[in-house]
Amino acid sequence: MDDPLVGQVPEPEGAGQGGQAPQAPPPPQSPGVSRSKVAAGAVLALALVAGLYVANRYWIKPAVKIQAEGSKEHPAAPDFSLTDISGNKLNLSDYKGKVVMLDFWATWCGPCRIEIPGFVELQNHYANQGFTIVGVSMDDSPEPVVEFYRQFHMNYPVAMGDARLEELYGGIIGLPTTFLIGRDGRIYAKHEGATDVSVFEDEIKQLLALAPDKEAANFQREGYRARGDQIELGDPAEIDSEVPGVNLTKLTAERKETFKKLLAGQQCPCGCKLTLLKCRQVDRQCAISRKAAREQLEKMMAKQEASTGL
Amino acid sequence: MLRTTLRLALASWAASVALAQGPVQVVEAKWVMASDAAHPNSMVKAAVVAKVSAGYHINDHKPTLDYLIPTELKLEPLKQVEVEDVTYPKGVLKKFAFSDTPLSVYEGRLVVGSVLQVGRAMAPGAYTLKGKFSYQACNDHACLPPASVPLTLTLKVVPPNVPLKPENSDVFERAQVE
Repeated sequence: MDDPLVGQVPEPEGAGQGGQAPQAPPPPQSPGVSRSKVAAGAVLALALVAGLYVANRYWIKPAVKIQAEGSKEHPAAPDFSLTDISGNKLNLSDYKGKVVMLDFWATWCGPCRIEIPGFVELQNHYANQGFTIVGVSMDDSPEPVVEFYRQFHMNYPVAMGDARLEELYGGIIGLPTTFLIGRDGRIYAKHEGATDVSVFEDEIKQLLALAPDKEAANFQREGYRARGDQIELGDPAEIDSEVPGVNLTKLTAERKETFKKLLAGQQCPCGCKLTLLKCRQVDRQCAISRKAAREQLEKMMAKQEASTGL
Repeated sequence: MLRTTLRLALASWAASVALAQGPVQVVEAKWVMASDAAHPNSMVKAAVVAKVSAGYHINDHKPTLDYLIPTELKLEPLKQVEVEDVTYPKGVLKKFAFSDTPLSVYEGRLVVGSVLQVGRAMAPGAYTLKGKFSYQACNDHACLPPASVPLTLTLKVVPPNVPLKPENSDVFERAQVE
């Protein structure tokens, strides 16, 4: 009996009937054909690159620029951390996602005081829609603020402000000064002086209607400031500098110390009888020492550039 | 409602334009004497002449409401010189949008008078008196923080036989006394 496994060789696929040999693979194409394909590919690639350039230049970049300008118009509200008059920590970042009305005021300021009852009503009316007021008192001490808070039945957090916070918010010249901050953390309006509560209410309603992840390009600001005006904020590099008001970030640690020694060796021209360095440190508002210190920095930087041959 | 909003918006604009100039100095002040010098053991009139910028006011030395910050002249003591009297002018009653009550305020030019008692043993020479004029200014819609103007007065003491020349008669004749 034949072994069923012996002598059985499987036939290759495609083998023709009658036992024809399998076909050889087709020969490679001639070089002329592949060159034209390569050339076509190169042209296509070039066209693609050109197209991308044009799209970027005339479509994408302008769109990004508009968005950037929108950001300049509505800058991010600088975060801060204070202690409220009840002794609790108050961080602006805790209110992200809410519409915040940040009000700089003082108990000795008549125009500030008349706004407060209207603010209490706004807080009552809109708090459950994601709105809050944060008061920053510029009084010298908390005692009169605590008394006022009780007397006027204030219903929103109030903290004691300081010079640094004033500078962060672009310099608070007069009181009241009130900022409207959207859910996205951007400043949409700044009001200087007593303002009718209806003006604030209109702006608050606009901001409450917006989603937190979108800048409101069409926010209609009530009052005097035309659309497109920028809200100026302080430069943290100047505010937090070892020489307040002077940006030292371009200096090495060694040059910084040299600069501070230079200022410590000069009398402040404002008449305070302090050194320029001391005046900057104890009186951040002194415009004379700020100007003098900045001029000294410019001179030092110019000397440095001249000596390095730049 | 619209009219009110527009009016307040315009007022806010005016306030902000006034305030947006950077740190605002709205009061100038200088210290003057009624004569060019003083004799030992005598009294001499001195006054602070202050000028409040147009559109602003500062509070009366005795403010109408207790939360308002008063205007004050503060003098540093000097040996052999006593400040006998500081006399503030009467304020003007004015009604502001932010207060139901008319407030007593100073506007424009004001004079705060004082009388200096020069000590018996004060030697002839020039002496420097220091002080500051403290105030808190507002306009109709906003307030500036409390501020002060530093003051320096050179008090020249001469022997009793040296005649004194009157000075600043316009100030001392016009000064009001409380």
